[in-house]
Amino acid sequence: MADADKAALDPQWAWARYAPDARRPWTLALTGHLFRRAAFGASWPQLQRALAEGPQKTLDGLLRPTADVAAFNQQFDHYETPPGDDRNAAELRAWWLQRMLRTPHPLHEKMTLFWSGHCAASNARADSAPAMQRHLQLLRRHALGDYRALLAGLVRDTALFATHNAKANRKAQPNPGLPRWLLEAHLGAAAAPDLNEAARAFTGWFIYNDELRFIEREHDAGAKKIFGRTGNFDGDEVARLVLEQPAAAATLVRKLYRWLISETAAPAEELLAPLVAAYAQNYDTLALVETMLRSNLFFSPAAYRQRVKNPVEYALVIIMGLESSAATQPLANALANLGQNLLSPPTSKGWSGGRDWLNPATVAGRLKLAEALLRDGPFIESSNPAAVAQKNGQPAAAFFAQLYLQDETLARGDSDARRAAFAALSQPEFQLA
Amino acid sequence: MTTRREFLKVGALLSLAAGVPRLLVRSALAAAPAQDQTILVVLQLSGGNDGLNTVIPFADDLYHKSRPTLRQVAAKAHRISDQLAFHPRMDGFARLFSEGMLAVVQGVGCAKSDRNHPGAMHMWHTADPQPPGPPTGWLGRAADQLWQPAAANLPAAFIGAIPQPFAANAERVIIPTVRNARDLLCPAGAATAAGGEPLLACARRATAAATATSARLDTVLRSGGGDYPQFRLADELRIIAQLIRAGTGIRIYFTELGGGGIGGFDNHAGQLGNHCSLLEQLSASITAFARDLQRDGLLDRVVLMTFSEFGRTVHENGRRGTNHGAAQPVFVVGGKVKGGLVGAHPSLADLDQDGQKVHTDFRCVYATLLDHWLGLESRAILGAAHPPVDFLRT
Repeated sequence: MADADKAALDPQWAWARYAPDARRPWTLALTGHLFRRAAFGASWPQLQRALAEGPQKTLDGLLRPTADVAAFNQQFDHYETPPGDDRNAAELRAWWLQRMLRTPHPLHEKMTLFWSGHCAASNARADSAPAMQRHLQLLRRHALGDYRALLAGLVRDTALFATHNAKANRKAQPNPGLPRWLLEAHLGAAAAPDLNEAARAFTGWFIYNDELRFIEREHDAGAKKIFGRTGNFDGDEVARLVLEQPAAAATLVRKLYRWLISETAAPAEELLAPLVAAYAQNYDTLALVETMLRSNLFFSPAAYRQRVKNPVEYALVIIMGLESSAATQPLANALANLGQNLLSPPTSKGWSGGRDWLNPATVAGRLKLAEALLRDGPFIESSNPAAVAQKNGQPAAAFFAQLYLQDETLARGDSDARRAAFAALSQPEFQLA
Repeated sequence: MTTRREFLKVGALLSLAAGVPRLLVRSALAAAPAQDQTILVVLQLSGGNDGLNTVIPFADDLYHKSRPTLRQVAAKAHRISDQLAFHPRMDGFARLFSEGMLAVVQGVGCAKSDRNHPGAMHMWHTADPQPPGPPTGWLGRAADQLWQPAAANLPAAFIGAIPQPFAANAERVIIPTVRNARDLLCPAGAATAAGGEPLLACARRATAAATATSARLDTVLRSGGGDYPQFRLADELRIIAQLIRAGTGIRIYFTELGGGGIGGFDNHAGQLGNHCSLLEQLSASITAFARDLQRDGLLDRVVLMTFSEFGRTVHENGRRGTNHGAAQPVFVVGGKVKGGLVGAHPSLADLDQDGQKVHTDFRCVYATLLDHWLGLESRAILGAAHPPVDFLRT
C-alpha cells in the first residue's frame, strides 16, 4: 500500500484533492466506494454517470445537490408527524429509512445517522417518539452545518436528557447524566471535578410531559470552576467551553474519520492536525466532510473497503442497486435484529461498529436479509433482479458482481439473476464499505 | 439406526448431511469451537414468582395460616426435606433434586430491592441496586468479555418471544434474538474464502463461521429434537439444546417464562390455577431439557439458573392472590451442580413488609456463575467482588 504509507507520512498529500492520473485512475471501483461512503449506495446508471463525470464533479452533486432538498424534507416532515402513540418509534424509524432511500441529498441523511450514533439518544430510554422526532429533526437541521449550533440545541434536547438519565436536575442533587455524555463524547473522558461542576451548571432542567423546562429556582447560579475557568456557567456555556477545548475538535474529527474513511487504523495525530485546526475554527461540518471526501486519502487503499457496512448501509446498498422501493417498517425491525435499532443505540457510546457488526448470527441474518430482498416478500413487494440486469444490458452474473462489488472477477453463478445477485451479495467483500 | 450421540462425530454427521457439500461439512467440523466450554442458561420468570408456593414449608403452621386458600398440603407435594417440599406439579424438579442435579438457593434477592416490577427487574438485569445503574446488563457485559472479533465467535443469544430484556444489553457484542433455530441457518450458496487484508479476512472468517455453524445446525435439526412437553418454554429450551449440540460456541443463553402478556407470575388475584400451570411448565420443560442434554453427555457442560424480579408476600391478599414480596428461591440445574438446599428457608415469623427476608445477595449467585462456571472475572462485570455461593461441584 504505497499510497497509504505516503498518506501516513504526508498530511499535505493526504488531504489534497484527488485528481485521477494514469497511476491512480478513476475506476468503477472508486465510484462504488464513493457512493457507499457519501451515500447509501447507487444504481447502475448512477455509477456509470459518476464514472463519466469524474470524482470531483460527482462530489459536487453529492455535497451540494441542485435538487430542491428543502422541499423534499418539508414533505417528509409532514408525512412523519405525528407519531402519536408510537411508543417504540417504529414509524419514525421507518420514515427515516424512507428518507435515506429517497432523498436527493443522501450525504445529509448519512451525516444525520452519524450524529445519531454520536449523541446516542435512545428511545429505549426516552420512551417518547415525539421527543425522538424532535431530536432527529435537530440532528438533521445541523447535520452538515455548524456543530456549535447543533451542540447548543443538544444541551436543550429532551430526548438527550432522557437518554442520559437526566429527567430531573435539582439544585440540591446535581445530575451527572448529561454532562458525562457531553464530556466523554467530546473529550474522551470526564474528570470528576469538571463533571461535578458541569452537573451544577445543568441544574434547573426538568422533563415534564415530554418537554424540557427550565425551573429558575432549581438552578445553581453560583460560580463553577470548569477546565480551569471560573464563572456562573449554565449548561449552554458549558457546551461552549467544551468546544473550546483543543481535544473537542480532535475527538470529532477522529470520529468522522472512522465514519467516512477507515475503521482499521487509528490515524496519526499529525495526519489529522490540519483538519482539526480548521474544524476548531468554526466547526463547519460540511467543510470538514468535503475535505475528507475529496481527498487523495479517501480514494486510496488506506480507505478502500476499510470499514464494515453497518446494517443500514448493508440493506440500503442492496435496495438502491435494485432501483426499488421498500417497506421500511419490517426493514427497521430486521436491522434491529442485526444490531442497529435506529434511534435506540445500545449505550451512550452509540454503536461500536467495525468488526463488532459481524458475528455468526449477524452474518447469517445479513445473508437471509439479502436473499429476502431479492424476492417478493415483506421488504419488497415485487423484487425483480432479472429486470434490473436486463435493463442495464448485461449477463446477470457479471452485472451483479459489477453493481455490488465493482469487481467482475467475483462474478459467480449462472444466468439466473436471483442466484447471481445473491452470489455477489454473499461475498465477504460485500460486508465491507 | 444412528444415535444422536453419534451425530457429534464426524462420520455420522457426514453421512447425514445430505445436500450439504462434504467438503463444507468437513471444514465446518474442523472449525467447530471447542466442545468442552461451559455454558450458562439464564431463565427469567417474569412477574415475580411466589417462591413460597414453589418450595413449600409444609411443616410450618405459619405457612398454612398465611395461605388459607392458596396453601398446598403435604400429602400431594414432593418432599425434599423434613420441612420443605416442591409444589405438587413439580415432579420433574423433585426427581432432578433427588438425583443431585438441582440446587435450591434460598432467600435470594437484595436488601435494597424495589417492589415495583420495572425497578426490581432492572436491578436483576444491571446487577446494580442503585438506579439508574450501568448502561449495560450483566449478561451483556459477560458477553462483551467473551467477544473475540478475530475469532468470529457468538458469545450469547436470547431465545424468546418477548423483546430482548435489558440484561442482554451489551456495549459491543450483538446478541441475536433467536425465535427459531433456523434463524441461524445461512441461505445456500454463500461464498467462502479466507485470508486477504485484515478487515476482509475478518469478514471472511465471520462468513465462514456463519456457514459452518449453519451446516452443523442443519445436521442437528434433521436429527429431530428430543422429548419435550408442548410448552413455549420447552420449545425454547429445545432450541438451546439444538444450538449446544450444533457446537455454535454460544456460552450464554438467556430465555424467559411468563412475560409478554397475561398469564405471567404476577398473580395478585386468583393465583392458584395460573401459578400451578406455570410451575408445571417450568418443572417439566427444564426436566426435559436436562434429560435431553444428559442423553448426549452434555449436561456436565451446562448450568441453568432461574430468577424472578422478586418473591411475593407471605400472606395472601384477600383476592386469592399475593402481592410483591422480597426474597425468592433461585434454582440451579446441571450435571456439575451440587444438588440440595443452599441456605436456610427464610423464616415466616420474621418478615420484611410481609415478604421473606433476603439472606443471600443475588450478586453472589451471579459471581459464582461468572467466576467458577464461565471462568470470567465477576469483579469486572459486577463492579465489586461478591463471595461465592456453594452450589457447584468442582
